[in-house]
Amino acid sequence: MTASAPVVRPEGGAGQDPLPRRAVAALRAGIRNGQALRWTGAVGAVIPALALAFVLVVLVIKGWPAFRIDGWSFFSSKAWSQGNQYALKPEIKNGYELPPGAAYGALPLIVGTLATSLIALIIAVPVSVGTALAIVERLPRRLAYAVGLFLEVLAGMPSVIIGLFGAVTLGPIVAHDIAPYVARNVPDVPVLSYFAGKTGSGYGLLTSGLVLSLMVIPIIAATTRDLVRQVPILPREGALALGMSDAQTARRVTLPWVGAGIVGSVVLGLGRALGETIAVAMVCGASFGSFPSNLYDTMITAAAAIVLTLEAALTDATGYALSVLAEIGLVLMVITLLTNIGARLLVRRVSSTALPVGAGI
Amino acid sequence: MAAHRQTAGSLGQIPSVPIRRRVGNALFWGACFLALLLVVGPTLWLIITTIGKALPHFHWTAVSSDTVGAGTAGGLLNAILGTLVLTVGVLIVSGTISILTGLYLSEFSRGRSRPLLRGAYEVLAGIPSIVLGYVGYVVLVVQFHWGYGLLPAVLVLSVITIPYIAKATESSLAQVPSSYREGAEALGISQGWALRKIVIKSAIPGIITGMLVALAIAVGETAPLLFTAGWSTTNPSFALTHSPLGFLTYAVWEFSPSNSPINSANQLSYDAGLILLVFVLLLILIGRLIAARSRRYAE
Amino acid sequence: MTTPASGSQTISETGSSLMAPLFALWGPAYHSQFSQVTLSTASSSSGVGISSAAAGTTNIGASDAYLSPADMAKYTTLENIPLAVAALMVVYNLPSVPASTNLKLNGTVLAKIYSGKITKWNDPAITALNPGVTLPSASIVLVHRADSSGSTFLFTSYMNAQDPTDWSSSLIGTTVAWPKQPGEIGATGSGGIVSSVKTTPDSISYVGVSYLSKVTAAKEGEAAVGNASGSFVLPNTATIDAALSAFTSTPANEAISLINGSGAQAYPIINYEYAIVNTSQSSTTLAQDLQAFLYWAVTSGTTQLASVNFQPLPASVVTLSEAQIAKISG
Repeated sequence: MTASAPVVRPEGGAGQDPLPRRAVAALRAGIRNGQALRWTGAVGAVIPALALAFVLVVLVIKGWPAFRIDGWSFFSSKAWSQGNQYALKPEIKNGYELPPGAAYGALPLIVGTLATSLIALIIAVPVSVGTALAIVERLPRRLAYAVGLFLEVLAGMPSVIIGLFGAVTLGPIVAHDIAPYVARNVPDVPVLSYFAGKTGSGYGLLTSGLVLSLMVIPIIAATTRDLVRQVPILPREGALALGMSDAQTARRVTLPWVGAGIVGSVVLGLGRALGETIAVAMVCGASFGSFPSNLYDTMITAAAAIVLTLEAALTDATGYALSVLAEIGLVLMVITLLTNIGARLLVRRVSSTALPVGAGI
Repeated sequence: MAAHRQTAGSLGQIPSVPIRRRVGNALFWGACFLALLLVVGPTLWLIITTIGKALPHFHWTAVSSDTVGAGTAGGLLNAILGTLVLTVGVLIVSGTISILTGLYLSEFSRGRSRPLLRGAYEVLAGIPSIVLGYVGYVVLVVQFHWGYGLLPAVLVLSVITIPYIAKATESSLAQVPSSYREGAEALGISQGWALRKIVIKSAIPGIITGMLVALAIAVGETAPLLFTAGWSTTNPSFALTHSPLGFLTYAVWEFSPSNSPINSANQLSYDAGLILLVFVLLLILIGRLIAARSRRYAE
Repeated sequence: MTTPASGSQTISETGSSLMAPLFALWGPAYHSQFSQVTLSTASSSSGVGISSAAAGTTNIGASDAYLSPADMAKYTTLENIPLAVAALMVVYNLPSVPASTNLKLNGTVLAKIYSGKITKWNDPAITALNPGVTLPSASIVLVHRADSSGSTFLFTSYMNAQDPTDWSSSLIGTTVAWPKQPGEIGATGSGGIVSSVKTTPDSISYVGVSYLSKVTAAKEGEAAVGNASGSFVLPNTATIDAALSAFTSTPANEAISLINGSGAQAYPIINYEYAIVNTSQSSTTLAQDLQAFLYWAVTSGTTQLASVNFQPLPASVVTLSEAQIAKISG
């Protein structure tokens, strides 16, 4: 027996090693047993939970004054005014100060967020599913690998670069080519009135939707591709044996087989689109306080509103502006959380490539 | 009766494929190829414009000198170094916490705690980064009087990237065959030793892949960094607080043609985009190499 | 103190995009004289300048707008120190109007345009001011600042000063509730204004004189703005100095509007460019370096003013600024 491994005698007392040596020995035993890893691991694992709780608590505390001032009408109002900043005295409502005439409403922000994400999904879903089918069923192995690389590049592209592309390249094309053509040729039906009208400057709803679709496509396409690859061969061969063409097989057998997974990835893509900040801020036209009158009009989303106004919010000495931004952040968080929880219940993550499938960059 | 085209064959009358079905087939796959083009095309276009706007007027001063003024002169060295420093900080902080989280969830947690803790970091993944930027600004920068600096920026970026590394760690640990652990126990190896020397070692490729994802995200983030790192035209000083640092995505956003009329600033914006693109390509390449290498050594 | 301390120091500045070109010149100029001090400047907006100075995230917040009474009451250690005199231009994109023609516009017309009462370029109110100029019948596309901008503060103050009925005083500020018009664009930063106007035909907007060269290069027109006496003037040394002479009593805290000054040749939209600084700094060396730079700015820094079309402060205001600078301590 070496001196570093103490012999613990049941009777205790004299004959035991001194405390420090026992403690060190216990520590080393703990490291050997994996106890040290267990405890540091537990400490580490609690940190995300603590961070989450922290974020929620801060948002609720910071947003409380604005909620007390506006109440639930905040979510149905379309005002956006910092009020008379140079007034001599602030107003007081429900015990909280605000600049006279200040009023904020979240409705245009919510509408803008949902509208841009909807446009992104309408474009992205058929395109992504079609791409995934083409990759798996039709492309030779090498080309499929190359296209997969493209998808990864698109997924990893910083959103600010996509925003730059939208502002400098896509926006002018939408303004000069796409929008006038569509607006001129759309039939004069009330339902399609959103496609007609002033064609704007390239900053607006359509460009924002296009930019978002570029970010959503890799998520849906890559997940769908991985899911379709895993559809077992038997049902597909059975369909062919029954005389279905491969298009029919794809539509009637393969896609329904992975339907839940595709829906899950669509919801994940939706979560990404809802939280996207900087790319939309660069192309939306930043029109606070109103709804876009047609597809090409300028608008604002919740995330873009926060990024454009947060740094100057402290000029409002009453703290109202900062509090409103917390409320907007909370609304955004609730919307994206609901969509993400929906996604995780549906999709089984089988992705083999290192795609950042998550929300909001 | 659908039109048939007669095909001769030694087996006699083989019912041939109706034209309608052939056309339908062709249309379907045509649509799928169109979709493929609609994905590959804009991606190529995006990559080409990112490279094409920057490369023709690229000067080496862009990577060797600091920015002057609002992009009126100089380069991006301060931004490049700032991004690098932030990345290293994020890898250290987020990497440690996430690996420990993944490890605990995969190897140690039992019963109720596992779905709760896992749910916590999955919910964390769903928070838009601007909201985290808001919290970082309002609490760390303003309330705690830390000002812009390395510490608030790294903390916020870490919170954003923890879910990715933790998920990667957890799933790659789960993929280590239980025969490894059982064999170690059968040989009398203590759990700690087995974990450290055998299980974690096998999971390292997956963990590194997760860290590469986190790197890509940290490098590409803009909104939260605007409110925690600020901006500086001087090189990063490693001071934790009261020391704003530059980062590449700021240059892309702030010096872009829609925000700045100065030509040299616009050029810096394109250059920053190019540098970021190169970085992302590098990360993807490394990820593919690691995946290929680990496949070769897999069971 | 008028010279910086000997240790190396970085002074951070952010804020007004109107003032940013000036700081971009001051930084290297000051550094070449005192190499131990490096100025890290950024262009954002006046609101960000005020906010950042209040939050302590920057050493100097640049702003075209002085602190509001509410801000002064809350952030008692902040002071706004004028460093130069600037002016605001009204710009437009009308390819059919020759560049040498400066369209005449005044506060009443502008207020009606921005509140939606005038929607077309060939509206009688505009053609009445500009006989002999053929204006198109196109709709006016409004461009304004989406961020918290000192330029917005100046522009809205001007519209209210000349036409309080159409543009009420509750619509003055760094961010205002712009009455929504179809296709209205919110641009970010003065640079955003220049590029938005450049790419949007029939648009109108407002931007500081420091961007005159960019505006000219983008082939945008500059309006001759109507002053309180009814004349239409362009911003230049003569008209800005004429306007300055109308304001003889700047208060000690130097928060004063210079809008719509009287005088036949006075340019109506001028302002002091402020450095928003905290009088209580974290260290004595930082305080000394800040004081030294600000002293330099109001004295030797006047050499750079001409290249951004700013004017130096009148001597009496320099004295007031120096008094405020002296209050900075660590």
